Amino acid sequence: MDIEGSDDEGESVYVKKQKIVHYGSLEEKERQRLATGISLSSVSNDVVKAGIEAGNINISSGDTMEMEEDKESQAEALAIFERRKRARQIQVSTDDTEVKAHLRLLGEAICLFGEGPAERRERLRQLLATLGTDIIQPKKQEEPVEIKPKDEDNITWYHEGSENLKKARYWIAEYSIPRAKERIGKQKEQKHVLTVTRLQDMHKRLRSVSNEYSQIGDNRPLSHCEFSPNSKMLAVASWSGLCKLWSVPDCQLIRTLRGHNCNVGAIVFHPQATVSLDDNACCMASCGHDGAVKLWNLVSDEPIADIEGHAPYRVAHLNYHPSGRFLGTCCFDHSWRLWDLEAQEEILHQEGHSKPVYDISFQNDGALAVTGGLDGFGRLWDLRSGRCIMFLEGHLKAVLSITFAPDGFHVASGSEDNTAKIWDVRQRKCVYTIPAHTNLISKVHFQPEHGNYLITSSYDGTSKIWANSTWASLKTLAGHEGKVMNVDVSPDLKFIASVSFDRTFKLWASELKGGL
Amino acid sequence: MSLSDREWDDLKSILDKTVQKFLGFSEPSLVTAALNCINKGYDKRKTSEKLLSILDDKQAPKFADKLFNVYDEYKASSKSHRSKKRKEDKEDKDEGKKKRRFDEAVEIPGPGKPSPGQLTADKIKEMMATAQKMIQERKAQIQAAMPKLPTVSQISQNPQVHMNDAMDKAQRAAELQAQIQARMAGLSGNLQLMKPGIPGSIAQKIGQSMPTPLILDDEGHMIDKATGQAVQLQHHTPTLKANIRAKRRAEFKGLIEKPPEEITEGTFYDPRVSIRPANRQKRGFRFHDKGKFELLAQRLRTKAQLDRLQNEIAQAAKKTGIASATKLATITPKKELKEGEVPDIEWWDAFICNTDSYEAIGIGSDLRERLEGITHLVEHPAQMRPLAEPTKQVAIPVYLTKKERKKLRRQNRGEAQKEVQEKIRLGLMPPPDPKVRMANLMRVLGTEAVQDPTKVEAHVRAQMAKRQKAHEEANAARKLTTEQRKEKKARKIKEDTSLGVHVSVYRVRDLTNPAKKFKIESNCNQLYMSGLVVLFKDCNVVVVEGGPKQQRKFRRLMLHRIKWSEEKQKQTKDDGKESYCKG
Repeated sequence: MDIEGSDDEGESVYVKKQKIVHYGSLEEKERQRLATGISLSSVSNDVVKAGIEAGNINISSGDTMEMEEDKESQAEALAIFERRKRARQIQVSTDDTEVKAHLRLLGEAICLFGEGPAERRERLRQLLATLGTDIIQPKKQEEPVEIKPKDEDNITWYHEGSENLKKARYWIAEYSIPRAKERIGKQKEQKHVLTVTRLQDMHKRLRSVSNEYSQIGDNRPLSHCEFSPNSKMLAVASWSGLCKLWSVPDCQLIRTLRGHNCNVGAIVFHPQATVSLDDNACCMASCGHDGAVKLWNLVSDEPIADIEGHAPYRVAHLNYHPSGRFLGTCCFDHSWRLWDLEAQEEILHQEGHSKPVYDISFQNDGALAVTGGLDGFGRLWDLRSGRCIMFLEGHLKAVLSITFAPDGFHVASGSEDNTAKIWDVRQRKCVYTIPAHTNLISKVHFQPEHGNYLITSSYDGTSKIWANSTWASLKTLAGHEGKVMNVDVSPDLKFIASVSFDRTFKLWASELKGGL
Repeated sequence: MSLSDREWDDLKSILDKTVQKFLGFSEPSLVTAALNCINKGYDKRKTSEKLLSILDDKQAPKFADKLFNVYDEYKASSKSHRSKKRKEDKEDKDEGKKKRRFDEAVEIPGPGKPSPGQLTADKIKEMMATAQKMIQERKAQIQAAMPKLPTVSQISQNPQVHMNDAMDKAQRAAELQAQIQARMAGLSGNLQLMKPGIPGSIAQKIGQSMPTPLILDDEGHMIDKATGQAVQLQHHTPTLKANIRAKRRAEFKGLIEKPPEEITEGTFYDPRVSIRPANRQKRGFRFHDKGKFELLAQRLRTKAQLDRLQNEIAQAAKKTGIASATKLATITPKKELKEGEVPDIEWWDAFICNTDSYEAIGIGSDLRERLEGITHLVEHPAQMRPLAEPTKQVAIPVYLTKKERKKLRRQNRGEAQKEVQEKIRLGLMPPPDPKVRMANLMRVLGTEAVQDPTKVEAHVRAQMAKRQKAHEEANAARKLTTEQRKEKKARKIKEDTSLGVHVSVYRVRDLTNPAKKFKIESNCNQLYMSGLVVLFKDCNVVVVEGGPKQQRKFRRLMLHRIKWSEEKQKQTKDDGKESYCKG
């Protein structure tokens, strides 16, 4: 009704617009308008009614219809959100094979057409979000398994070696016993030879040791040094794989030994090399981290022979038997080997350590060998009977260096726990513990021939000299900028050589005359 | 018609009952009114009229009917009773006895007692009648107490049964009477003996309240105190079959369960059989020999020592890798050497050569002949686990790089934000209020801000405070509690020293200053380290043990933080010397 009326008015307004100016009273017009309006309204009423009847006009009765809250759909939406959140939190392996395995476990296709690993992973994630992660057992955590010793390790057992081993053992026995006899005889005579005054003199000389020469040995850290038996040469091994021979004392490079492809652990002289052995013969032996052991002469800069059998295990150190006939090598496969250089074969593969064997040393007589391992124990072996005759137990960490004293019954060991221990084989016990350094001890070395002092080198950058039997510190050799890797005393007792991580080797000598 | 006192009483009791039956409760006023009516000789109508004052117009005539019925009954019964009474009186006179009414019941001859005199049939009849009446009276009394019991009228319908019942009851009553009298006599006698001052009535009262003393004769029968006759206690004999059976079973069981010794000791004891008395042997002292236990202890000690030794040897053998201790004995030194002593032969050579001295050993073939124990066997000794190695594998935690951590955080936060936005978009979550600050106030609340700036500003400030508060609360919630924080701190400082402890030794020239001493001690405590300080004139030693990190901190304290030279600038020099060792 209102609509109709307004339409009508709009028309009249339109008319009015045409007549811009209106004259006279509006009364007439108004009356007319009202009359028509009534009539029009009555007409429009009828029209509306008809419209309503016909169903063209829908007028609601005025009651409001509440918008039905679609609880179900809302819950569904929330569930979707929840699922998506869960999916985000689920850890799905990035390993495609594992994802496939999981899918297979769920009974799903492991690969859909055109699906890459990322999509597959996403599919698995969605699946897990709906099914729950419990379906796939989380990959078994590698639980801290208690390391139990195997039964095999708890018992001692033997296996038969070669006939050559027996022969070699007899040879060693015949070699060592006369030497032992000689040594004992000397010890009985020289019981009180070193008088107090001579000892004091020696200590004085040692206290005046200072750095004499210093030389850059290589462009990688130096790992080992050893004087030649005639004290004219110093062999230095480097991590670059090169070994160099330097003249003593002027530190001139004599020769570079090329042959190792990786870090060289040690280089040692044959006990008779440069003294009574021919220069062309096998005079030196070196070992590398890749398990290569090479033999050198004093003429060429190439190895004359390779000893194979250690690879891929690292050979940490090696040492000559005093006779020069045998070579002992320490291997990272928890064993040490004895090689017969004359027969050119391995005669003994000795196990016993529970971790890699790190150092080996032979007794002067040649009867015994001592090995130190990363398991923190030392073992003393009788080379004749092949038995472990003493167990050196006391270090808390790996034994990195072990050496026999020239007197034949003392053993010194240096360890990662910063201590050095002195063992008496006759009494079968540790006689002294030197809390020597503030870092691990890389090398322990007795004075050659007499064994009146012990030198230790350490990763704390110093080497120290310790008086025998009192084990008091006599001198600290500080001068290296890095860790001291090795130390050696020349057989003529003139020099102490030390090699360091800072790539230099230094020669130390006493300012006083009389040797070290 | 007027009622005698006795009639009045009797009627009253009967009417009481009737009223109770009629109304369902006792109403004394109604009873009195009814009695009055009867007393005055009213007829039914008059009575009902009178009773209207108490009962309503329906009940009143009914009750009047009942009343007269009861009265008629009573009258009938009382007539016969009176006639009997008269006869009894006569008899009483004959016997020359005068008794109270209550005693009549007592005198009724029980089955256990012989009746006095000859009993004629008349007499018996009379007695029966009296008894019946008595019963009725008693019943009435009982019924007054217990209204649920059957009424007199019902009882009177089968008089024969009730007569027997009455006889029983009368007998029991007589017994009870006798018991009470006997007891009272005994008690009063006793009491009067003990306390003559107490009057008899009181004594009686006391006697009634006290339990009866049990008196037994030599055969174990209970006897009456006064008479000395045996008292027959009532035995309850079960009548039900099941009860009888149960009793029999109990008896049988008792018979079985009785231990056989009792039988031998008690009933089957034969004094003629002589048994030797169990007399003890006399025992003398038996002393241990002197030194016996000493010897025993010595033996034990030596045995323990031997065990220990053997154990040691076995240990050594195991470590060196020798299978048996006997074999170890062959390679161990035969005699212990003192330090510095030079042996004739090294023990390892002695084992090979089998001699006591190198002197005995020749060269060449002689030596070779002497050698023994050299084989081609390669030994595999038992392997020892390293001491400092943990028994369990240590899991290395995986850390992400800073970049990775940032990326992860960004992604997670982005996802969370997206989710919230989507929820808002779907209408699952109300959208947050627009974040208003002072800076964007005009933009966000344009017109409102113009209209009432003060209010809007207050609103904005409140919102800011709310945000700040929420933020701070979230931070506080994340914070560790005091204990947790303490624990975390301690955890970070403490180190595991179970597999090897780092020890450092410091020498200090002068440690007289208590402040420095305190510093050392408190730092040691704070770092959870252990150790000791040895004070001497010019050489003081500080030993501390702990993990490497603790040692580092303590070293810094000793070498840098404490200014040793600050007091005596030139005299004292810091000489912190340290060496590390493990053990």
